[in-house]
Amino acid sequence: MTDTSVADTDRLSGNKDMIVCEGVNKWFGDFQALKGVTATIKEQEVVVVLGPSGSGKSTWIRCINRLEAHQGGTIIVDGVELSNDLRNIEKIRSEVGMVFQQFNLFPHLTVRDNVTLAPIWVRKRPRAEAEQLAMDLLERVGIPEQADKYPGQLSGGQQQRVAIARSLAMEPRVMLFDEPTSALDPEMIKEVLDVMKDLARGGMTMMVVTHEMGFAREVADRIIFMESGEIVESGTPEHFFTNPTEERTKLFLSQIL
Amino acid sequence: MTDHITIDQTPALPPEKPRLTAGSWVRQNLFSSVRSGILTVIFGVFSFFAFKVLVNTMFENPDRDWLAVKTNLRLYAAFAYPITQFVRVWVALGLVLALLGLSLGIWRSASAVAARTIASRLIASGLTVLAGTLLVGPPVLRDEAGEPVYDETFEALRGTWRSGLEQRTGWFLLAFALVAAGVALWFGLGSRRNTLTVPTTLVVWIASGVVIGSTWVVRYGHYGLDPEGVPVGDPDSLVAMSTRMPWTVMWLLVAVAYQLGRFVSRWNSSRLLITAAWFLAPFIAFWVILRDPAIDYGHVWSTDLPMFLGFGVLGGLLLFLLADPKIGELGRFIAFLLVVVAALTFVSGFYGWFSMLQKARISFCLLALFALMANNFAGDRQTRLRFAGAWVLLIGIAHYFITLMNSPSTLELRADSFLGGFLFTMFAALFGLMFSFPLGVLLALARTSTLPIFRLLATWFIEFVRGVPFITVLFFFDIMLPLFLPAGMEAPDMAATVLGLVLFSSAYLAENVRGGLQSVRRGQYEAADAIGLTGAQRTSLIVLPQALRVSIPPLVGQAITTYKETSLFAIIGVFDFLRVANYVVPNQSTPVNFIGHKLEGLIFVSFVYWLGSITMSKYSQNLESKMGVGER
Amino acid sequence: MTTEGEGTLAGMQPKRVPLYRDATVVKWVTQVIALLLVLGALFFLVEEAGANLKAKSIPNDFDFLGINPGFNISEGIDKDPNTGGRALWVGMVNTLRLAMSGIVFATLLGLAIGIARLSDNWIVNRLASIYIETIRNIPILVQIFIIAVLLGSAGRLVGDTGPINGWFMVSSKGLAVPRIFPSDGFYQWLVVLAIGTLLARAVRKRRVTHQDLTGAISYPNLWFGAVLLLVAVVGWFVHPVFGFLNNLFNEIGDAWGSIPQSGAKLVLAAGAVTASLLWIRRFLNSKRSPAGLAKLTDDDMFRMIFAVIGGLLVAFVVTIGWPGLSSWIINSGQDFWHFLGDKFGDGRTGNPVDAMRPTIVGEGTLLNYGSQGLVMSPGFAAMFIGLTLYTASFVAEIVRGGILAVPKGQSEAAAAIGLNRAQALRHVILPQAVRVSLPPLGNQYLNITKNTSLGIAIGFADVVNVGGTVLNQSGKALPVIAIWMLFFLCCSLTISVVVNWFNVRTRIVER
Repeated sequence: MTDTSVADTDRLSGNKDMIVCEGVNKWFGDFQALKGVTATIKEQEVVVVLGPSGSGKSTWIRCINRLEAHQGGTIIVDGVELSNDLRNIEKIRSEVGMVFQQFNLFPHLTVRDNVTLAPIWVRKRPRAEAEQLAMDLLERVGIPEQADKYPGQLSGGQQQRVAIARSLAMEPRVMLFDEPTSALDPEMIKEVLDVMKDLARGGMTMMVVTHEMGFAREVADRIIFMESGEIVESGTPEHFFTNPTEERTKLFLSQIL
Repeated sequence: MTDHITIDQTPALPPEKPRLTAGSWVRQNLFSSVRSGILTVIFGVFSFFAFKVLVNTMFENPDRDWLAVKTNLRLYAAFAYPITQFVRVWVALGLVLALLGLSLGIWRSASAVAARTIASRLIASGLTVLAGTLLVGPPVLRDEAGEPVYDETFEALRGTWRSGLEQRTGWFLLAFALVAAGVALWFGLGSRRNTLTVPTTLVVWIASGVVIGSTWVVRYGHYGLDPEGVPVGDPDSLVAMSTRMPWTVMWLLVAVAYQLGRFVSRWNSSRLLITAAWFLAPFIAFWVILRDPAIDYGHVWSTDLPMFLGFGVLGGLLLFLLADPKIGELGRFIAFLLVVVAALTFVSGFYGWFSMLQKARISFCLLALFALMANNFAGDRQTRLRFAGAWVLLIGIAHYFITLMNSPSTLELRADSFLGGFLFTMFAALFGLMFSFPLGVLLALARTSTLPIFRLLATWFIEFVRGVPFITVLFFFDIMLPLFLPAGMEAPDMAATVLGLVLFSSAYLAENVRGGLQSVRRGQYEAADAIGLTGAQRTSLIVLPQALRVSIPPLVGQAITTYKETSLFAIIGVFDFLRVANYVVPNQSTPVNFIGHKLEGLIFVSFVYWLGSITMSKYSQNLESKMGVGER
Repeated sequence: MTTEGEGTLAGMQPKRVPLYRDATVVKWVTQVIALLLVLGALFFLVEEAGANLKAKSIPNDFDFLGINPGFNISEGIDKDPNTGGRALWVGMVNTLRLAMSGIVFATLLGLAIGIARLSDNWIVNRLASIYIETIRNIPILVQIFIIAVLLGSAGRLVGDTGPINGWFMVSSKGLAVPRIFPSDGFYQWLVVLAIGTLLARAVRKRRVTHQDLTGAISYPNLWFGAVLLLVAVVGWFVHPVFGFLNNLFNEIGDAWGSIPQSGAKLVLAAGAVTASLLWIRRFLNSKRSPAGLAKLTDDDMFRMIFAVIGGLLVAFVVTIGWPGLSSWIINSGQDFWHFLGDKFGDGRTGNPVDAMRPTIVGEGTLLNYGSQGLVMSPGFAAMFIGLTLYTASFVAEIVRGGILAVPKGQSEAAAAIGLNRAQALRHVILPQAVRVSLPPLGNQYLNITKNTSLGIAIGFADVVNVGGTVLNQSGKALPVIAIWMLFFLCCSLTISVVVNWFNVRTRIVER
């Protein structure tokens, strides 16, 4: 396995570890989706995970949020180990936001209710406060005027931005993005990526699975390349795009660029 | 956040089709080909004779005596309920109708009927009545006692056609009135008849108003007779007329409730409140209004109130503590302890370690349930206070109804059956369905759960119940319920049948809800998990609202089935609507001899059942087309 | 890699999760508690019921199955059963007879009405829709009562011939038509037919191969029918050659009698259990792919559970229940093999199937139908007509829905590739419509079977009615109810297995 050490950018050097994965394994039946994935992600770091489809990148970030249970190795998020411990699962779920490829907004609730749901029911905040927060967040993702519509009435890009606002409403310390732009029409991709860039600039720790190379090049502190459940290579964008060391990485890049 | 199940409010208008002239309509629909023409002739002749045979069998037939229905309407309505206390029946009915009006107002349906359709339906029904009146044979001659007169060959003697026409003036008038109303509407509206639509609710309300209002104008119906042959109610008035006042009140009540429902629908909590009211309604109707319980106030002051205060205050305090978000696992532990205590209260009673009032046991069960839920209602001070308040309210209501159930009825009953007739059928169907609904949802959730033991239990229960006929379930409860109860407690047949109905239809409802649950996509669960909702929150806030919305049409279908299934109570010996027609009236010899007159009652009963279920099925079709289910 | 501080790997010892916070533990403890509560509640109810029954001194056993029930049954294969079990069996046969005839006729009528509902002739369309809307919105029980009343008001039975010269009679005693019954050589003929079927299948297979190889249309189904018909006709005359089976079965019976029974039973029982286990192994193997065992669904679990139950049931019947059970079903003191042997024999040279016209027996006003004709008692007729009419209205809607569910593009596509209307219907529309209709149709068949239980309301001697009589006489409620439920569960299971089988088949055909 190649070096998985943290990219030595200055702004991250003093930060503490936010996500620590060590030898994470995951099987689906006989199929091993993750083979000893080991990586450390610093606070405020933006990591883009690349790889061909079926390489286990989605599975990996879903493990970090316990949407899938990993079956070997250790995952520690913000000092809390993800295990069978209910208290830890609760804690991590409320500290890690997740944005899905298919948005997964709740179609029977208005945009406002989608965003206030978690603050009210999980964070136990008063409704008025939660609604204020929701409006602030919708403002931040640029669609305050849609607050009273239902998700079905919005475009894909708007829906994804609502989904980001919904995750942010939990005030998470880490945001996971699972191919957030793959289900979008080309003209809507930019509006979502802009929101994500904003977030990154604001110092959010982010793990992004995406095929948007421009985004990776511009925003990522580090790029992790995965194939068949293993981390093949990891490094800064310049390193990754200009002179990757591994053959498999070169092959991958030659196919997509 | 309770208004997820609102239906899109756009009225469904049929697409404009070019109107055909009568001639081309006939050509297109009846004689489009030789084959079609032959079919038209054959089935035209067939339907003519079928209709003729039908009206003649039903009406001018020496074996028919519609007095069997007319004079026994009271039995059909409420069976042996004491006549002097009938106002209670009206109040109970009013309660249900008021709730119905409120619900209709809150969950407004946007379905509408085109004025053109109303007019043509009126004309068509008028013509049908006219045809029926003309097609029945001359009237059967009857003696003073109402028995038909026969000749030597045992053929009934009949009057002349002319006498028949004279006797049926009322029917002719009805036919002409219907046709006239239809024609007036048709031409009165002019070209607007094609565009104007009237809300279905309004049409139904006006139609029932015309029927009820007609009793103020026309003298029809017959005397209701009590078993001694004395006319019931006002001796000078006919059944239809003696009940015109209460019916009018009911009719107005529905309208008022509907408007009120429209008014309160703007408040979110109105839906929650009306649902709660529906669940309280059967208890109030049955134990408060119809039974008029004799409450022992000594017992209330000495036992009931202190118990309520104890459970209310201590339980409220405990729940207030448990709803603290910071309590963590300690809360789970206390809830677990409460479950054990609740189970122990029953075990101890069984082994006679120490006795305890049934009320206390039930209260412990409820407390354990609330404690298990507390985690989901945790929050700031206000939320916690509200949660504790809900507990006090619920335990108060529960204690009140348990007290009511334990108090004897003040009504003196003439027969062993307390409630019967259509009132019982309606109450059983409505309330049985209502209580089987939460059970069905729970079963469906368990069946789709990821926890194998829950899934297995639910699957076995559902498949078992769905595999056996309803009547065997009824027999089971009828025979076994008295055996299951501890000594000294008695359950009437009625309770056994309704319990059987609840369990039986819950299994079917569960399958309908399961269909809805399966339509909720996997991503919804994941999104709910990802934002940190607990399992119960995920189910109640995200999954169920979506699943139930999808399963509304099959649920209405199940409601129709349940309504029809209540007729099986007659076999068990409960004096329900059908049993009155099939057993009570045909065995009645005083004051009028109706022995053997079964068919009249059965036809009447089937008409009433038909009316109820066709209304529901039209409503469900309406919903289905509006939700785009079943259309492709 | 960082090596110091809390929250990093190196400094972290694997901590033990407290039990009350462990997701797996909590999950299972919750379930076990729920299971205990359910079992506990059941236990208390059963204990309570048992105590109450004891207090009323009603024993809860199955003794009534073996003793004389002391009542007659109005119709069925045995009107004067000598054991309670036999009486219930007669009721079960009546139920099945009613259910099967109801299923067949409701399907046919429903098909006709469903198609009429789609007709573009206004009158036909309207009549069908009035039929559906009327019948299916009135409770089945009310309809059965009405039909029973109408049948009861039919004319009294009179001594002379019926409407069509004695072939067909209607009266308040029921309907009577000629009875077609298996006669002398029936079982021998059946053997001929079985052989004929095998033969016809072989021929059919050859024809299919022929068509596949040469492309010539070779009518395999026609050949199948022709061969079967030929064998049936020939068999009508030559069936006595199978008389030798008489000796064969008797000898098997003797041999069976001479071997130690307990040992033989044990072997058979072990065989049944082994067979079910082998089936499960095969089933599991079929679910196994190179990637490992597929996730088993509830359905798969149930199949395996039922396989085990089936094996155990056979074992139980063979070792313990057989003599009693066989005497209920075949009502003969002989053992099974001799019973079978009796069906064959040298004396049996007559026609395999015979028919008789209904007769009338009795005097004066006590006339009734004799045993010659096929009599449909008023109870059976009311149930049969009621169930058929009622279920047909649902079947019609299913048929209509199934045909409408095939997208319009399908018939357009069929026309585009040059199929004519009949071909399109046969090869494109119907296969898809059937696939949509089958599951709800199976549900309706289940409903018919369950609705036969309404026979108790009008005195038709079905299993519920007979059971009710037994229950009233012996007071043994629980055993009787258990038998009812078990019987209907078996019926439901059989129907759903058959429907599933068809379902799978149509799905494969479609693929």
